[in-house]
Amino acid sequence: MRRFAGLCLLLSGAIGAMGAEVAIPVEHYQLSNGLRVVLSRDNAVPVVSVYIIYNVGARSEEKGRTGFAHLFEHMMFEGSANVPKGAHFATVESNGGNMNGSTHPDFTDYFEVLPSNKLATALWLESDRMRSLAINDENLKNQKEAVKQERRLSFDNQPYSTAIVDVWPTLMFRNWQSSHSLIGSFDDLNAATVADVSKFFKTYYAPNNAALVIVGDIQTAEAKKLIETYFGDIPSQPAPKRPDMTEPAGFQARTETYKDPLAQVPAVVIGYPGPKRRSPDYYALTVIDAILTMGDSARIRQDLVKGKKSVIQYEANLGWPFASELDYRDPGDYALFLLYNPKFHAQEIVNQTQEEIAQLQDQPVDAKEFGRIKAQLRAERLKDLESSLSRARALAQYTIVDGNPELINTELDATLAVTPAQVQAAAKKYLTPQQRAVLEIQPAPKEAK
Amino acid sequence: MTAFRLTYRSLTLAGLMVFSLFGQTVDRTKPPQTPPVPSYKLPPVSESSLSNGMRIVLVQDSRFPLVTARLNFQAGMKFDPADLPGLAPAVAALLEEGTKTRTSRQISDEIDSLGGSIDGSAGADALTLSGEALSENLPRLLALMADLARNATFPQSEVDLYKQNRVQSLKAEHSDPGFLAGEKMASLLYGGSPYAHIAATEASIAKLDVPTMVRFRDAYLVPNNATLLLVGKLPAAGEVRKVVEQEFGSWQRKTLPAEAKMDFPAAKRQIVLVDRPGSVQADIHAGRLAPVRTSPDYFPLMLGSAILGGGANSRMFKDIRERDGFAYDAHSQYATERGAGDFQAVTEVRNEVLEPALKAVFAELDGMAAAPAPENELHAIQNRIAGLYLLRLETQEGVIAQLNSMNTLGLPNSFLENYVSRVRAVEPAQIQAAARKYMESADDTVVVVGDASKIGDVLRKFGTVEVAK
Repeated sequence: MRRFAGLCLLLSGAIGAMGAEVAIPVEHYQLSNGLRVVLSRDNAVPVVSVYIIYNVGARSEEKGRTGFAHLFEHMMFEGSANVPKGAHFATVESNGGNMNGSTHPDFTDYFEVLPSNKLATALWLESDRMRSLAINDENLKNQKEAVKQERRLSFDNQPYSTAIVDVWPTLMFRNWQSSHSLIGSFDDLNAATVADVSKFFKTYYAPNNAALVIVGDIQTAEAKKLIETYFGDIPSQPAPKRPDMTEPAGFQARTETYKDPLAQVPAVVIGYPGPKRRSPDYYALTVIDAILTMGDSARIRQDLVKGKKSVIQYEANLGWPFASELDYRDPGDYALFLLYNPKFHAQEIVNQTQEEIAQLQDQPVDAKEFGRIKAQLRAERLKDLESSLSRARALAQYTIVDGNPELINTELDATLAVTPAQVQAAAKKYLTPQQRAVLEIQPAPKEAK
Repeated sequence: MTAFRLTYRSLTLAGLMVFSLFGQTVDRTKPPQTPPVPSYKLPPVSESSLSNGMRIVLVQDSRFPLVTARLNFQAGMKFDPADLPGLAPAVAALLEEGTKTRTSRQISDEIDSLGGSIDGSAGADALTLSGEALSENLPRLLALMADLARNATFPQSEVDLYKQNRVQSLKAEHSDPGFLAGEKMASLLYGGSPYAHIAATEASIAKLDVPTMVRFRDAYLVPNNATLLLVGKLPAAGEVRKVVEQEFGSWQRKTLPAEAKMDFPAAKRQIVLVDRPGSVQADIHAGRLAPVRTSPDYFPLMLGSAILGGGANSRMFKDIRERDGFAYDAHSQYATERGAGDFQAVTEVRNEVLEPALKAVFAELDGMAAAPAPENELHAIQNRIAGLYLLRLETQEGVIAQLNSMNTLGLPNSFLENYVSRVRAVEPAQIQAAARKYMESADDTVVVVGDASKIGDVLRKFGTVEVAK
């Protein structure tokens, strides 16, 4: 596949024969304060997505400071020097736009999708909080409460969530950076001071620790001028050190059971330590995941859901539960989450799943199935590029993790180049019972009141 | 706090230096001045039909080598027999579970090999078969969609599985107070008309059988009742036409069953309490029938509803949620089907504040009728709706959803073309006039879902209350 050099405009007809892949125009540069900028122009619909990614997530937290990454994401909506509290949301909404922020293990992101005449408005909003976030006692107190409330509603009150968020990482990882609760503890949140939060802001929310991605209906020269105007004078900070996330050698396979008072249906999580990002095995495991779980014809669906009627619902991917192959960073996992029919025992589900994997290890996938998987992967990736926001998300990951946004135009080829022999080899290397963690989640309803 | 101020001062200094470099200053204290919302025309929509009456709607969008399809029939739940609510959604869901020549498994394998998906669903008016695929597989996608629509066999084992799962999902729906309120509201507002039911019942699920589904398929899934919509990277129109002709051309036209007459009850104040023992909150729905989209009242009422309860800048959100703290959610909704529509104000409040909250809902509704909305409030809403409209059209999925909705409602595509300008043309006086007709609370039907033993007496302060289980 060809890469677009510079800013070729993508219009209907600019693409070759039917079946040829898409080339997303990519222009990238850096401001003098270190902010990485990626522009991708597409004037088909007058909409623009402004997406900022900060290279900090829950895995960068220090002991005694868990939950900071998430707390901080909340603080980002509390107002800044020129944007009063509440104004961010009101401004975006009254223009018909969407916005949000989210915290991940390795990054935190913020975005606005707006009619394209509002590009400057989005840049004003984002630069004002990067420059001058309002960190004070009152805002901090509010947001500590908001984060706790979110934990109660979204995690503590939801089946499976506590097991997934608090227990699963302890089975998969032994380095504290990866194994600690990514939502954080109430104790640590209570202990957070304005000074702590200010330090976190200064260290991680600096322009040199971020990338700004703009996708959609822009005029490049004008966009560059606006970016310089709004972001150019935000001072850079000493580059933050990424903590050592190396896992100790020798994975310890184990099985644990979690009694979940909110679950009605039993579930089991089966996971394996994953490969290095963008290594040949990473692409092979992406294909393996598709064979097992993608689409109606997926093996887990046909053999276990429809065939044995043992599994009811499932999800899986590289980086599960917090990441996907797009934002996967090592150390990571490949894991499957399976809700199953209570007539079966968890161990039977584990065995049935491992049998599916054994088939991948023992026999190469036949050409027909392999062709089908590749069609699905191609379609899925192309569909993921359709909206300006999802294009921006992909560009941001390739920029901040891999240092090369142009990978957006070549990563699919790397996945499609995987061979049946590589699938077999990767299944043998990674997906073995000796390198397997299992978390059984058993319903444990409270006694009726 | 001190540290923050220091940082800020030093930032300002750095800022001045950069500005002098670029010879450009910016006033950061105010939102930037921006140009008006850009105008946007939908990509050209080409329409034609086959000799058997099937309509074809094509939109070329070559940005990605994908194609998105809808096969839309006027065969929604309004055609369910009175004793079989939920028949249309059942037929829709089971189309992909087997045909005369393909098993369910073969259909799964085939659609995945096209890089696609296929899915049937039914709403009040229409039954839609949705498909997508890599664009080079368009002919095979169309062949598969045609086979499903024309030759679905509803295998007994799949029907049994569907019934078993549907009973479970219906139970889940009935544990949701919002669903209970919607169900009761529809039956009160739409009376004996076919829009009065929104879902199956346990009894109707038990009655579902293969011959009934085959009869429904034969009666309604016919070409003169169908529209095929295609959006994406398409071959030349002539070539598309050839494939469509090949897959759908031999399909025989049939006389459609007569549509049931739509008679709706007149608006009147009635209060119905749906008892949900143990409920700690009361779900309030207040509303009545409202005009369809072709009515001159449509745009004024749609904007009025957005001012009243559309989003975080709306009156209900600001007053009932933010000022009074009665509820997490307070909104209004104006939904239109092909033959009727309804407008409702909705909020879910703690039991203890039911009385002031219901008064507040009535006050908001009456407030819309009492005075014209201020210009700036209207302007902000017009801006928002124009922006939302653009955001919906970014993807093939977004474009086809809009066109499919036009088709379902029997509206011309020019409705979309003119949408933003009609939104912008609405005047405050028109909104007030529409509010007088459709929002004033005196003739509203009120449905409250909650624990009758806890909230019944409070509710009776507002008038006679009928308790439903």
